[in-house]
Amino acid sequence: MMNAQFLFLILLFPLLGGVTNAVLGMRLPRRVSTSLALASVLLSAGTTLVLWPLAQGTGARATLFTWLSSGDLRVPVEILFDPLSASMCLMVTLVSSLIHLYGLGYMKEEGDYARFFALLNLFVFAMLCILLADNLLLLFLGWEGVGFCSYALIGYWYGEEKNALAGRKAFLVTRVADVFLALALLLAYKLTGTLSISALNEQAPGLAPAMVTLMGILLLLGACGKSAQLPFMTWLPDAMAGPTPVSALIHAATMVTAGVYLLCRLFPLVSLSETALAAVALVGAATAFYAATCALAQKEIKRVLAYSTMSQVGYMFLAVGAGSVSGALFHLLTHAFFKALLFMGAGCIIHLAARENDIHRMGGLARRSPAVFYLFLAGILCLAGAPLTGGFFSKDAILLATFLHQGALYKALWGLGVLTALLTALYSFRLLYLVFAGESRGEVSRHGLPPTMLYTLPPLALAGLFGGLLNLPAFWGGGERLGSYLGTLSGISHPADHRVEMLLIGVAVAVFFAGWLLAQRRYRRYSPTLQAEGTGFLLKGWGADWLVARMVLGPFRAFAEGCWRQGDLRIIEGLLGAAARGCQGCGELFRRMTTGRLSTYLDSFAWGLLLVLGWFIFSRI
Amino acid sequence: MIVPFGHVLAFSAAMFLMGLACVLARRNIIMILIGVEIMLNAVGLTLVGASALWQDLDGQIFVLFIMAMTSAEVSISLALVVYLRRRKGTLTADAFDGMKG
Amino acid sequence: MPAVIFYLLGGTALAATLMCVTRRNPVHAVIYLVNALFALALMFYLLGAPLVAAWEVIIYAGAIMVLFLFIIMMLELSAEQHPSGPGWLRWGPVILLSLVLLGATLLILALDPKAAEPVPLFYVTPRKFARALFERYPLAVEIVSFQLLFAAVGAFYLGRTGSRKEEP
Repeated sequence: MMNAQFLFLILLFPLLGGVTNAVLGMRLPRRVSTSLALASVLLSAGTTLVLWPLAQGTGARATLFTWLSSGDLRVPVEILFDPLSASMCLMVTLVSSLIHLYGLGYMKEEGDYARFFALLNLFVFAMLCILLADNLLLLFLGWEGVGFCSYALIGYWYGEEKNALAGRKAFLVTRVADVFLALALLLAYKLTGTLSISALNEQAPGLAPAMVTLMGILLLLGACGKSAQLPFMTWLPDAMAGPTPVSALIHAATMVTAGVYLLCRLFPLVSLSETALAAVALVGAATAFYAATCALAQKEIKRVLAYSTMSQVGYMFLAVGAGSVSGALFHLLTHAFFKALLFMGAGCIIHLAARENDIHRMGGLARRSPAVFYLFLAGILCLAGAPLTGGFFSKDAILLATFLHQGALYKALWGLGVLTALLTALYSFRLLYLVFAGESRGEVSRHGLPPTMLYTLPPLALAGLFGGLLNLPAFWGGGERLGSYLGTLSGISHPADHRVEMLLIGVAVAVFFAGWLLAQRRYRRYSPTLQAEGTGFLLKGWGADWLVARMVLGPFRAFAEGCWRQGDLRIIEGLLGAAARGCQGCGELFRRMTTGRLSTYLDSFAWGLLLVLGWFIFSRI
Repeated sequence: MIVPFGHVLAFSAAMFLMGLACVLARRNIIMILIGVEIMLNAVGLTLVGASALWQDLDGQIFVLFIMAMTSAEVSISLALVVYLRRRKGTLTADAFDGMKG
Repeated sequence: MPAVIFYLLGGTALAATLMCVTRRNPVHAVIYLVNALFALALMFYLLGAPLVAAWEVIIYAGAIMVLFLFIIMMLELSAEQHPSGPGWLRWGPVILLSLVLLGATLLILALDPKAAEPVPLFYVTPRKFARALFERYPLAVEIVSFQLLFAAVGAFYLGRTGSRKEEP
C-alpha cells in the first residue's frame, strides 16, 4: 500500500485527465468533460494525502523508467517525495481542485470548455513534475510544460489580439530566462556528470566556489523568469488578459512560485555561495519594492493583484536569500491561499460589476454582495499583514530572518522590506476601498453569482486567516511545525533574541496600521482627482515595457529587418534573380540565333564545318 | 594519272570553297542554288580523281548518281523558287523569315 | 603534256567559277558557270572518265543550267541592286577554311609519297561502265529513276497555277 511507486499516480491523474479532455473533450457532454478534469485533480490530491506518511524524514524516492541514456548521461524518471515537495504538492493539488471547481462556474457560458480544462489539467501535471522531480531534466520538462500551458491559457481567448499578444509576451520573456536555466543544467552536467538533484546537492560542497556561485546566479536568473522577478517581470501584468481561474491558479499559487521552489530545492547548492544568496535576496527585495510602487497606481483590479503577486514572490526570494527555506515556504503557502482567494474574488467582483475591470468605475459593491465583501476583506487583511492573520506571521518570519542575517546589505534589505510592507498595506486597502466603499460609480449587475464561484472562496479564506498555525513561531507559543517538519531542509536558522523579535513585531504592526490609516484618509471617500493619480511612470511599471522595447525589441527588430533586406532580399533573391536573368539572357542569346533567315543558318553550317575540320586537324597534330 | 592526286584534291577544294562562298555571300536564292551546284561539281571532280587513283570505277558511277539526283533536286528547288516568288514577290533569302522566333 | 592541259583547264575552271560567284546579274553568273562546267568536263575526260565528261556537258551544262536560265528569265530577275557584301563575320568561315585548305594543300604536296609515283591511266570505256553499273548497282539505278519521277511530279505540282488556293 505504501509502495513508493504509487507516487507516480499523483502525476498520472492530471495527465490522463488532460489528454482525455484534449482528445475527446468536445465529444463528451459538458458535465462529463469538466467533471473528469475536476476528478483527476481531486484524485491527485487524495493520493498525496494517502501517501503523506512516505514523506517523513528524508522522504521517498521512486523511479519509473530511464528516460534517456546517452553516453555518460543517464536520466531516469525519478521523483522525490520529501517534506518540501509533499507540502507543495498538497497545496498545489488542493488549490487546483478549488480553482477547477471555481472554473466550472466561471466558464459556464464558454463554448470551448474542453480546451480550457485540458490545459488546466496539463498545467497541473507539469507543475507536479516540477515539484516532484528529482532530476533536473524532468524538472525542466515540467518547467517548459508550465510555460507552454501558461501561454495557451493566457491567450485562451485568442480571438482578441491583445490576449494572444499577452500570451506570446509571457512565453517569450520566460523563455529568455529559461535559457539561463538550461545553462545551469549544462553546467551541472559538466561539473558532476549527472543531472540528479539529490546527487547535485550532495556533491555541492566538493565543487569549486566560483562554479557554485555561477550555478547559483544561473538558477536565480532562470527562477526570475517564471516568478516574474526583475529583470524578467514584464509579462505578469499583461498576463491578466487570461481568464480569472488561470490568473488565480497560475499567477498566484503555482507557476510564479516555481522559481522559489527551484531555489529551495537546490538550496544546499545555492547556500554555499554567499554571493548567490545575496543576489537572490537583493533581487527579491528590489522586486518587492518595485512591484508595490506600481500596484499603487494601477487601474485594473487584476493588474493590482498581479503586481501584488510580484511583490510577495519577491518576499519569498528575500527569504531564500536570507537563508530561511521554511520562511519562504511558509509565505508561499499562505500567499497561495490568500492570493488565490483574492483573484477568485476579483473574478466575482468583475462579474458583479458587469464585466468592468477598472476600479475607478466600481464602488459600493459591499452593498451589492456582502458575502464577496467579507471574503475579499479576509484576503486583503492577509495580504496587508494584519496582525494574527497567516500573512502576518509569514511576512514577519521573512523580515526576522532578513534582519538577523549578518551583513549591512541585509539590514538595508530589511528596511526595504518594511517600506514595502507599508506600501502593501496602502495599496491593499486602496483596492478595498475603491472597489467596495462609497457609492457605485459604474454599473452593477443584477445577476447573481454562480454558486461554484462563491462557495469555493470560504475554504481559502479560512486557510489564509488561520494559516499562521502552520508555522507559529515559538514567541507566540507555537511549535513551528513547518520548520520542524522540513527538518534539515529548512535552511539556515538564526537564533533570535526575544527583544529583537518583539521589536520587529511592533514595527510590523505599526506599519500595518499606518498603511491602513493612510489608505483610509485618501481612498475612503472617492474624489475624481484620484482618477489621475499615479503618473504614467508608476502605471506603466516604471517604464519597464518601454525599456525592453528600446533595448531589446528595437535592436532585434532592426537586426531582423536588416537580415531581411540585406540577406534575404538583396543577397539570396539577388543571387536567384541573377541566376534567372542569366538563364533568360542565355535564352535570349539563343533566340537571337533563330532569325528565320536562311543566311544565318548557312553561316552556322560554315562555322560548324570549320570547327569539325579544325578538330580533325588538331587531333592529328 | 596525269597529275598527282594532291593537285586534283587542291583544285577540287578550291572550287568547293568558292561554291561555299557563293552560298554564304549571296542573298538571291537562285545564286545560292548555283553555289550549291558548284559545290556538287567540285565533289564530283574529287570522286573522279579518286576513281583514277584507285583504279576503280565506283567513283564514276557515283558521279553519275550525283548528277541524276542533282537534276531532280534542281527541278524541285526551282519550282519552289517560282512558287516563293509568286508568294512574296521577291527572291531575297532574308525576306523569308517566317521561322523567326 | 596532258598535265599542262589539265592545269590550264583547272585555272580556267577556277577563274570562271570566281567570275560566276561575283557577278551581280544572275544570267551572267550562269553563263560563267557553264564555262566552268565545260572545263570541268574536259578535266574529267583527262582523268579517264569520258562518259562522265559527256554527261557533265549534256546533263549539267545542257539541262540543269539551261533550266536555271529558263527560270531566271521567266521570273525576270534583275541584277541585284546593292552589292552589299556581308561583314567579316560571314566571310570568316570561308576565309579560314581557305587558309586551312592552303595549308593542307602545301602539306599534301610536300608530304604525299604516292604523289610521286606514276599511276597508270585508268580509262573507263562505256562498255565497262555500263556493265559495272547494271551488274553491281541496278537497285540504285531503279531508285534514282523513281526519284526522277518524284521530282517531275513534284515540280509539276508546285508549278501549277489556277484553281488551287493561295495558301496551301
